[in-house]
Amino acid sequence: MQFKDQIDFIRQHMKRNKLRVATTILAATMGCAFLIVLASVGFGLHQTITDDVLDNNMVTQIEVAGKSDGEAEIPPADIPDAELQQIKEMAHVIAVVERNKPEAETEIVIGNRSTYSQVVLSSMEEEQKAGFALSEGKMPTKAEEVVVGYHMAERLLTEAEMEKEANGEEVDGFAGSLIGQTVEVELTPFTAEGGEAVESSTWEFVVTGVAKEPAKDWMTDAGIYADSSWGPIFNEEMGLEKGYENILVYADELQNVGGITDALKEDEYYVYSVTEELGTMNVFFTALKAGLIFVGTIAVLIASIGIFNTMTMAVTERTREIGVMKAIGAQPKLIRKLFLMESAAIGLIGTALAVAISYGISILANWLVPIIILSSLGEEDAGGISIVISTIPWQLVVIASAISIGVAMVSGWRPARKATQIDIIQALRQEM
Amino acid sequence: MIKIKDLQHHFKIGKKGNERHVPVLKGVTLEVGKGEIVAILGKSGSGKSTLLHILAGFMSPETGSVMVNGQETAALKESEQASFRLENFGFIFQNFQLMPGLSAFENIELPLKIKGMAEAERKMKVQKLLEKVGLEEVASHYPNELSGGQQQRVSIARALITDAPIILADEPTGSLDSETEKEILLLIQSLNKKLGLTFVIITHDEEVAAVADRQYHLHDGELVKGEQRHAV
Ligand SMILES: Nc1ncnc2c1ncn2[C@@H]1O[C@H](COP(=O)(O)OP(=O)(O)OP(=O)(O)O)[C@@H](O)[C@H]1O
Ligand SMILES: [Mg+2]
Repeated sequence: MQFKDQIDFIRQHMKRNKLRVATTILAATMGCAFLIVLASVGFGLHQTITDDVLDNNMVTQIEVAGKSDGEAEIPPADIPDAELQQIKEMAHVIAVVERNKPEAETEIVIGNRSTYSQVVLSSMEEEQKAGFALSEGKMPTKAEEVVVGYHMAERLLTEAEMEKEANGEEVDGFAGSLIGQTVEVELTPFTAEGGEAVESSTWEFVVTGVAKEPAKDWMTDAGIYADSSWGPIFNEEMGLEKGYENILVYADELQNVGGITDALKEDEYYVYSVTEELGTMNVFFTALKAGLIFVGTIAVLIASIGIFNTMTMAVTERTREIGVMKAIGAQPKLIRKLFLMESAAIGLIGTALAVAISYGISILANWLVPIIILSSLGEEDAGGISIVISTIPWQLVVIASAISIGVAMVSGWRPARKATQIDIIQALRQEM
Repeated sequence: MIKIKDLQHHFKIGKKGNERHVPVLKGVTLEVGKGEIVAILGKSGSGKSTLLHILAGFMSPETGSVMVNGQETAALKESEQASFRLENFGFIFQNFQLMPGLSAFENIELPLKIKGMAEAERKMKVQKLLEKVGLEEVASHYPNELSGGQQQRVSIARALITDAPIILADEPTGSLDSETEKEILLLIQSLNKKLGLTFVIITHDEEVAAVADRQYHLHDGELVKGEQRHAV
């Protein structure tokens, strides 16, 4: 029998029992749609979290937490400059930033306002290459010029304001621009508990710029950024050891982060980058998705009982016709194929409908669920975080289709075999 | 064409352990030549259909041999038997055995579809045959829209469409009135003459048997040669 005739044949048969075939397809559709929608939540959450990680402007940042020289660990501060220069010259590396923080409590004072802060000592030139940007003012050109964090102004409070804030009242902080202001930076070396009191030292700086707002609205930046040449000066004045140094390597693009990370690892550096974080997340989410697909498959299996029943009934009903076909000279193989094709067709139509419906549900869920969550939290917007509840990538469509159609064919297998085993003589005896 | 030799068959009746053996065929021998019409008469329950079913390969005989066109049919596998039937046999049944979901045209077309013939060729062939058996008018009718005689014509056309050399008919006029029976018998005779087809007709009706070149009576599991051909 030609393939086209086989298709015609099963179409004719399916038409003859429209209602029964339709309800079976409905069950198959529901099973498959359940599978897709359920798993799409796993894919959606994975995407949301991946996006969230990538949304952070630190994605191109690789942190170097030291190096191994085979036996001992070298802390970042002791990595020779020549080696950092080598990293700087690697392909796709746009900047290598060394950040130092003096091991001292830091207080910033302007007039009668003050705040606790953190001095970050770094090369402003490299920071700029790495993407450090200002919201106002300009970069320092002289050693005694500094940049302050975006939230510095609002953190600078008078004593009265500090009291108010402690009582839970709103305070305004420093009004106007900090640009051009002279700030006093008072450093008090950290002391061990019960140790003898140490004297603090004070330096004066001129603010030339204010850093741009941090990428996340929950981050506050009330730091003060000064040139790294101040490190030895601070340390000498306060009698401090060289503190911990942060070495940050910046890649030009996210796609190159993985390569640079691997290259640094090979050179025995201890590194941490977003690709590492995504890597562990991927393992978790792959397991989650597999679990959801497994649970969804149970729904498909339940639907397959319907297919099994429908096909068994079809074979019983058509016993006489199958007998005639066999008597005329149809191969048992052909009979089996026709019935398998019919159950596959039910699976196929059900899957096609399920895919369409799932996309609809997915769009609806992504629109509706955030609204419900926000309104139940009594908030207006999600604070810039876009929540994806459900995504249906093509891979999920392929997996779900394979499962649904496969299960449909497996459940049609027994009825199809039963059809081939029909005894011609018994079948011909049946009344029309 | 057909050589049946010492065919024996019995059925088992009753529950396992307590079965009764009912011998139906006790050594049937029959030869049918090309272009012959052979009628097999016998009382109800004498085993006529059983003989035909074995001949058609619907079931296997206990002992004895059935040679069709030089092929021992019992030696064939199930799938080979299907192909063999498609090539060599056309079937006419007492209750027509048409597909209720297919039109007259499509019913006749079915064996060619099973054979895998291309659509254009198929349609032409069916069209030609429809004219020959006088069914052009009702080609698009479904079986439940046809008279008994028309249904049997469709079933005959379906048996002829594959150009199989042997037509096996089990009570071909059993469900028809005597008027229609005559028409069908005339059709069978003319097909036999024009196309040289071989017919094996099972019947309990002397009038049907009268169109045959040779008649046999199945009696007590054995074939007895009957009278020669009468004029219809
Ligand atoms: N499957 C079977 N199992 C047991 N006995 C059977 C079976 N098929 C037929 N028989 C018996 O075999 C005998 C012959 O049956 P068969 O159908 O060949 O008769 P027949 O000559 O065709 O009769 P009719 O003219 O009524 O059609 C009958 O006695 C019947 O009861
Ligand atoms: Mg009979």
